[in-house]
Amino acid sequence: MKVNFKTLGMCFAAAALLAACSEPPEIAAKAAKRPDVAPYMGANNGFMTKNWTPGNQASWTESIDKRNQGQNEYSRVK
Amino acid sequence: MARMKFICDTERCIECNGCVTACKNDNEVPWGVNRRRVVTVNDGIIGQEKSVSVACMHCSDAPCMAVCPVDCFYRTDEGVVLHDKDICIGCGYCSFACPFGAPQFLSKGAFGSRSKMDKCTFCSGGPEENGSVAEFEKYGRNRLAEGKLPLCAEMCSTKALIGGDSDIISGIFNNRVATREKNGKYPGSKAFGWNTAYGGPDAPAPTPTPAAKIPGAQ
Repeated sequence: MKVNFKTLGMCFAAAALLAACSEPPEIAAKAAKRPDVAPYMGANNGFMTKNWTPGNQASWTESIDKRNQGQNEYSRVK
Repeated sequence: MARMKFICDTERCIECNGCVTACKNDNEVPWGVNRRRVVTVNDGIIGQEKSVSVACMHCSDAPCMAVCPVDCFYRTDEGVVLHDKDICIGCGYCSFACPFGAPQFLSKGAFGSRSKMDKCTFCSGGPEENGSVAEFEKYGRNRLAEGKLPLCAEMCSTKALIGGDSDIISGIFNNRVATREKNGKYPGSKAFGWNTAYGGPDAPAPTPTPAAKIPGAQ
C-alpha cells in the first residue's frame, strides 16, 4: 500500500491545530468575600467576659475601653 | 468607632518573648509561623540595645491590601486588617509589600510550596462565625468578640506592648513620655509620636563600647 505522506502530514497538522478546541473551560467560580460579623455581636463560646451585652455596641465599646485602661499602670496604682 | 492599634514601648521591652509565646499558644500557630516576633537592634551596645515586638500593624492604608491579586483582605469597622483564607492563593505578594514582614507562610511541601498566608488578626478571627471551631482553626482566637484585647498585649509583663483603641493607648503612652521627660529622660522631646516611641527624635547614633571599658567583660 502506498502511503501518501502529504495527506498524513496534513492530518497531523490539523489534529495539532484543533487539539486546543477540545479542552474544557477552566474558569474558576468567582470567589466572593464573605461578610464578617462585628465583634460586639459576641462569640458563641464559653469564654466571653460578663460585663457587656452581646449585640449592644455601646456596652462592648465601654467594656473594651475599660479593659484598655488595665494596661495603664498609672491608673491602676492610683 | 474604635481604631485598634498596637504600640511597643522600646524603653520597656526586655526581649522576654512572652508576647510571641502567648500568641503562638493561644492561637495554636503552627511551627514555622510567627505572627509576632521580637526584634533587637544594637546588640551589646551598652544603653543602646533596644527591642521591639513586631506583628501586623493593621495599617490604615495597608500595602498588603493594595497588592493582593485576589482581593482577599478587608478592614473591619474597628480598623483591623483581616483576610479570607478561602480566597487567598498563597502567592506571597503581600509578604513583599509589607514593611513589617507580617504575612507568614508555612513551607509544607516539596519545591518550596507554601501554605495560604497567615498573620496577626489582632485576636479578632476572620470571616467565620465568631468563636466557632472553624474560625479558630483557620485564624485563631477571636478575643475581641469575647470582650477581650489581644493576649500578647494584655499579658506583657512590663506593659511595653499595649494594644487597643488608638486614642486610649496613645493617651497611656503620652502619659509615660511626659513622666519620663519630667524625670529627665529625653528632655525637650515634648511631642508624642513615633519618633518618641522609638528612641527619641534626636537620639545620637550608637557608639560601640570597647570591651576593655565594660566591667567584667572578656
